[in-house]
Amino acid sequence: MDQKQTSKEILLRMVKSFTENEVAPYDMEIDQTRSYVNDLLNKIKKYDFLSTMLPKEYGGAGFDGETTAAMINEIARGNASLAVTLEGHFKSIDQIVKYGNKSLQEEYLPQAKSRIIAFSMTEPSGGSNPLGITSHAEHVGNKWIINGDKIMITNGGLAEIYCVLVKTAPKELSFFVVDKDMEGFEFGKRENFLGLTGAPVGEIVMNNIEVDENHLLGKVGMGKEIGDSAHNDARVLMGAVLTGIMEHELNIVTDYATHRKALDTPIIQMQAIQRKIADIAVAKETTKLLYQKAAWLKDHGQDYEEEAAMAKAYGSRSAVKSGDNALQILGGYGYSLDYPVEHLIRDARAMEIAEGTVEKMRTTIALIEAKNRA
Amino acid sequence: MKIVVCIKQVPETTNVKINEQTKNIDRRGLGGVINSYDLNALQTALEIRKKVGGEVITLTMGPDDFAVSLQETLALGADKGVLLSDRAFAGADTLATGYVLGEAIEKMSDVDLVLVGQQSVDADTGQVGPIIAELLQVSQVTYAEKIEARSNELLINRKLDNVEQNITAKLPLLVTVTDKINQPQYTNIVEIAKSFDKPITTWHARDLNLEDSRVGQAGSPTIVRSISEPVEVTKINTRLSDDPVTAAKELVLALKQKNILTEEA
Repeated sequence: MDQKQTSKEILLRMVKSFTENEVAPYDMEIDQTRSYVNDLLNKIKKYDFLSTMLPKEYGGAGFDGETTAAMINEIARGNASLAVTLEGHFKSIDQIVKYGNKSLQEEYLPQAKSRIIAFSMTEPSGGSNPLGITSHAEHVGNKWIINGDKIMITNGGLAEIYCVLVKTAPKELSFFVVDKDMEGFEFGKRENFLGLTGAPVGEIVMNNIEVDENHLLGKVGMGKEIGDSAHNDARVLMGAVLTGIMEHELNIVTDYATHRKALDTPIIQMQAIQRKIADIAVAKETTKLLYQKAAWLKDHGQDYEEEAAMAKAYGSRSAVKSGDNALQILGGYGYSLDYPVEHLIRDARAMEIAEGTVEKMRTTIALIEAKNRA
Repeated sequence: MKIVVCIKQVPETTNVKINEQTKNIDRRGLGGVINSYDLNALQTALEIRKKVGGEVITLTMGPDDFAVSLQETLALGADKGVLLSDRAFAGADTLATGYVLGEAIEKMSDVDLVLVGQQSVDADTGQVGPIIAELLQVSQVTYAEKIEARSNELLINRKLDNVEQNITAKLPLLVTVTDKINQPQYTNIVEIAKSFDKPITTWHARDLNLEDSRVGQAGSPTIVRSISEPVEVTKINTRLSDDPVTAAKELVLALKQKNILTEEA
């Protein structure tokens, strides 16, 4: 028996069943109440979803990137917010695994089984331009004193542990790990975002938080590298989320078009409808192949920055466009807040911005293409 | 208590297609899942083990790739799995399947309790459990909705159409369970990796004390003459008036129009 393949199959069987029974039926309610109803967070902790890609030595299941992305894809078919909450947690674990020193890993990775970790870069003064941030850490004796304000954090307010980007010198960026229970840590306001409303996006304020030296992620000055790494990991998983959204869209439109009749004929028989459905299906499959390739490259230790950017840039634009096609197929029902299509468009739209805008993704792709030919 | 749970892997879709030539389910391209009633049986076994101790062995018959389902039962908490796999078993009906499963249970020796789902969701016969009990010559209780375990007996509640029974049954015993008996847990993700430390044994025909004429197609007296996919029926709801007299008139008229009521009636 191929242990890796068998494990993946069992995992995906379980996630499919969990999504169908525990997530998908609550999709609309999650969107409308802006919260994880049905005790979902406790359930994902109970069944160890948070440990999916956590290394086995820290009590995790140790699944690879490809399988983890497939799992995210499956969850997103039911609800994209929950998939994004997991994506934010996994990319943060990834950075602690890649850059954390041994004592930091031993302290925080076992906690990742039950406590969500978030990754925080943006500030009012800087997002895609990290040197614009003002948060800073000062080295005092064998401690670091951290001050600053981080905003628009995926899982902000929900997460209990935060990887935060700060300046350690005027042009030197570094990451630290802080805990919500540390003195000087406060939660700020939650953003009132358009989509992915189940996944909170919020602010944290750090007032003279004192951490040991082992809370430094990597070395001083490695902030940009770690940030780029986290973005790449997140973009692969966002490709999976976007694929799940398009599969959700396809489920809705094929069911509707098969049963909805015009002139006594199911509208699935009409070419105008068929073209739209076919376009959604092609976009879904293309995004899936893109994220799978990026995940495969990552698992095999190869560079995946370009493929990750492609999966996110192509996937996010396609999922929004596919949602618009789905809305058009459903007509008035598609335009109704009582049906899920409109929120799928709002959900997908978030990913044209988060983890690097589609414009930035195109820059990344173009520069890599040029570099490869130089 | 030594408990064996019989597991069947079924197609994961409810959109089952029929192979016109073989008159059987066309499994090509379909992923597999554990029959949902068997998950109720496994959950029951795990709860009994938790209360009185012992071991839970899962048993299935099928091609080698059915081992995935056994592995899943180990991740769910079973102690070990046994796969019955041999080309000679192919084409078995419920009788031949029950015979091979029964012989495997016999080989395990000292089994106190066999738990089986009330039926499979693909073939829906509900026959395999009772057949195993007959072949093993142990008592059987079907359609259990509640089980309370004691050291050498079970208290079982079963509900049939017009009857509810509370039965005290001595071990050894075979029980088929309904989906009302419990809510099966999902597989814990971390337990998937750990499940590979538990054993799965494969037994071929030569490993069991079998008569050739009773296995596979040769041992299957069932002949499927025809099989068809169910026709989707569209139901139409008609709301009658709130006034009872008017509603009664509308109902009579509607029934006459559909020739359910005749003028004479």
